[in-house]
Amino acid sequence: MATRAMEVAIGVPALAAERAVTWPKRTRARLSNGLEVILAEAHSIPKFHGELFFRSGNAAVADRAPGLAEMTATVVRTGTTKRASRQIEEDLRRIGADLSSGAGADTSAISFSGLSEFAEPLLGLVNELAREASFPEGEFERERRQKLEEVKLERTQPGFLASERLRKVLFGAHPYGQVSPSEQQVAAYKREDLQAVYSEFYTPANGILLLVGDFDSNEMLKSAEKVFGTWAGKKPDSKASATPPNPRGRRLYLVHVPGAVQTQILAGCHAITRKHPDWVKLGLTNSLYGGAFNSRLVMNIREDKGYTYSPRSGVSALRQHGYFSVSAAVRNDVVAASLTEIFYEMDKLRSVPVPEPELADAQNYLSGVFSMGLATQDGLLSQLSTVALNELPDDYLETYRQKVRALTPEDLRATARRYLDSANMQIVAVGDRAQIESQTALFGELEVYDAQGARVS
Amino acid sequence: MNRFHIGMESTKLANGLDVVVAPDSTAPVVTVGIYYKIGFRLEPQGRSGFAHLFEHMMFQGSANAPKTQHIKLINSSGGVLNGSTSYDVTNYYQAVPSNALERVLWLEADRMRALKVDDENLKNQRDVVKEEVRVNVMNQPYGGFPWLDMPPVAFRNWSNAHNFYGDFADLDAADLEDVQAFFKTYYVPNNAVLLILGDVKPEEGIALAKKYFADIPAGAPPPFADPSEPEQAEERRGDVEEKFGTLPAMAIGYLMPVRRTADWCAMALLDQALHGGRAGRMHRELVLEKQIAVEAGGGIDDLFGYNGPTQMTTRILHKPEYSSQQTLDAFDAVIRDVRENGISADELEQLKVKWRSDYYATLEGGRGGYLPKFGLMHLLPCFTLFDNEPQLVNTILDGFLAVTREEIQSAAKKYLRNEKRAIVFRTPVKAGAPASAGEKEAA
Repeated sequence: MATRAMEVAIGVPALAAERAVTWPKRTRARLSNGLEVILAEAHSIPKFHGELFFRSGNAAVADRAPGLAEMTATVVRTGTTKRASRQIEEDLRRIGADLSSGAGADTSAISFSGLSEFAEPLLGLVNELAREASFPEGEFERERRQKLEEVKLERTQPGFLASERLRKVLFGAHPYGQVSPSEQQVAAYKREDLQAVYSEFYTPANGILLLVGDFDSNEMLKSAEKVFGTWAGKKPDSKASATPPNPRGRRLYLVHVPGAVQTQILAGCHAITRKHPDWVKLGLTNSLYGGAFNSRLVMNIREDKGYTYSPRSGVSALRQHGYFSVSAAVRNDVVAASLTEIFYEMDKLRSVPVPEPELADAQNYLSGVFSMGLATQDGLLSQLSTVALNELPDDYLETYRQKVRALTPEDLRATARRYLDSANMQIVAVGDRAQIESQTALFGELEVYDAQGARVS
Repeated sequence: MNRFHIGMESTKLANGLDVVVAPDSTAPVVTVGIYYKIGFRLEPQGRSGFAHLFEHMMFQGSANAPKTQHIKLINSSGGVLNGSTSYDVTNYYQAVPSNALERVLWLEADRMRALKVDDENLKNQRDVVKEEVRVNVMNQPYGGFPWLDMPPVAFRNWSNAHNFYGDFADLDAADLEDVQAFFKTYYVPNNAVLLILGDVKPEEGIALAKKYFADIPAGAPPPFADPSEPEQAEERRGDVEEKFGTLPAMAIGYLMPVRRTADWCAMALLDQALHGGRAGRMHRELVLEKQIAVEAGGGIDDLFGYNGPTQMTTRILHKPEYSSQQTLDAFDAVIRDVRENGISADELEQLKVKWRSDYYATLEGGRGGYLPKFGLMHLLPCFTLFDNEPQLVNTILDGFLAVTREEIQSAAKKYLRNEKRAIVFRTPVKAGAPASAGEKEAA
């Protein structure tokens, strides 16, 4: 709640006529082995960016071990039947390239960028990693030990502890409920498990290759066909996942970190996936609530009250489910005050129509920021991968801005009522119990956990 | 080899404001930045953290755009904005659809002409900055390591050695008079560069810069504290407690040569040889081969943007079963190798290709990934403020591509010396005692 009347600026120059936003032509192809290829030219610098996605990630093998797809991706880049780890790294440097491999809940990916003049050798190496990774025993052991230290370290990061707890609360036994393995689970990883994941996931029928940059699309498509055309392999089987819980009523989950000098708040509720028809509406509602610097929540708890440095809200869209969340790292003595404002702003959007000028501001913001993806190769790649991975319509990029601009105050109120589920928000607070327990207990039934994830009370 | 060229036009207005316009119509987006030649190195004694706190105040209102209006007007034009403070410069920037260019220039000119803030704004941002320090440093494992831990160990001149984020007592002591005095001294057009990059015609950009900035009066040339350091003649060491993390850590920093010298180019490539990702010697030896460390990286922080004493710093988190001494010995072996044997012709060739590739990436995007032309926006003003030569952006690469093996080895011998380095040990309070009896050999 703003305690101070806002003044307006005087003499601001009007906006000039908008220049047309033209998205580059996309070249699409499906190779005979099933690999989907999407190319777009962007000649800003003599480089290109690419991503080879597989439509399976940690969630698909969560029943075997959490994080198994991520561990597989990590070891993929450490050796092939033709090159040892050191050779791979030096060959990348020799052609000025960067490469990383990783896996999220729903996908595994090899991401790369390099100089256009060395496109063929880089595609050749990506192909080798995707088809001929050898999982050297020594590399596997070293990466497993690295991962052990990583999972220990993340338990000391407030942001990690908050999101881990929220995901458990929202998704329970569904694979999305576990964001990271335990030390014991990492210790139990076996090289054979990784190889099994590799042979199931890393197939052309399960893949999408995206390339954006300074090249001729026809030539690049020929190169891609030449490099990846002889690869074979089928789509992995998919299995049904458990239904996530549907927590009713506000509940509080305090993760106790002794000596914490600040409290990390993260509150969330179930929402929607990218494919849902309400996606654009929720995007705009979120941007108005806490998704932009100029949003209501940031203006309230940062610019007016000074409780926090970086409050934000967002919609996390996983393939099967999505959730809405709001986060803020706040001073210990204003945890209750911050939560009050977080809910105040949510309830206000749920009940009072957004004034037209504020709606227009938010519409401009979202449309403008969306177009910035055009200006860089990796920005464009990220837009194209969103469309491809979520199987959005071909004209998604071209029509997004119109869809944003067509929304009304009533659309936003209805959207807030449906998805900013104030009464059923699940609230995580990571901080020192002695300093914040009584404040948090005001907002719902309280459960207390330690940083290892064990329930304390 | 495909060379990449940035077209630009630059001018200096009568009030001393440098203006650089670099047109590119790839997207209907324009990036506008203003760089002021003032950073935390030169903030007043007794006011640690002030340059950064002041940066926050620049978003708190100006004569015709009261508090929140700058943010609101940029976001509602479809743009994003931020600012940041570093050692020798402070920047303010926004990327907007190009139809909002005049609006952005009006806003930047308004706050250059007349900052208008009050005690309530100052109290508000002091609170925000304290939460920023808590979320980035005090409440994070290895927070501020080593960028805040190293300066007090490595340097003797207060300008280089103090807490740049600010002691809370100093932040509390800052008042409105400090804010206005700092503004009046350093935020003058003759101490700044305006960048307009992207969807704009050069003549149009220059004309608009004149329209909005030409009538801002020049100020007295700002006084600059002398940041020079007394000659370092011994290794320096310091200890810091790690409150949350469980791995022992250390950072080793070697004093860098003055920028724009031949040694500087050689050190940049040597930095790439040592810290260039997984192929870099530090990561390869300490993480991949000897497997002592979990992380070994780092390097020169902001190669183009420093204008005073700085270091090339390696940050290492190592396994608890290895002692600090064993870890340091392994680090020293890497340094010794490059000092005694230099690098091979093949390695140098790889480094140059990677350097060129990285440089192009910096020009296009850089560390502000979401903000088009962030890297170009950073390089142009550094070359303008420190070298008076924005065109360097197109020629600077040549110096790096001309570096020889001999120059690299001679730079290693000259700069990677124990008496020119400082080491900070960041030791967990929680973990078991460091290994002693029965400790593992670091081979």
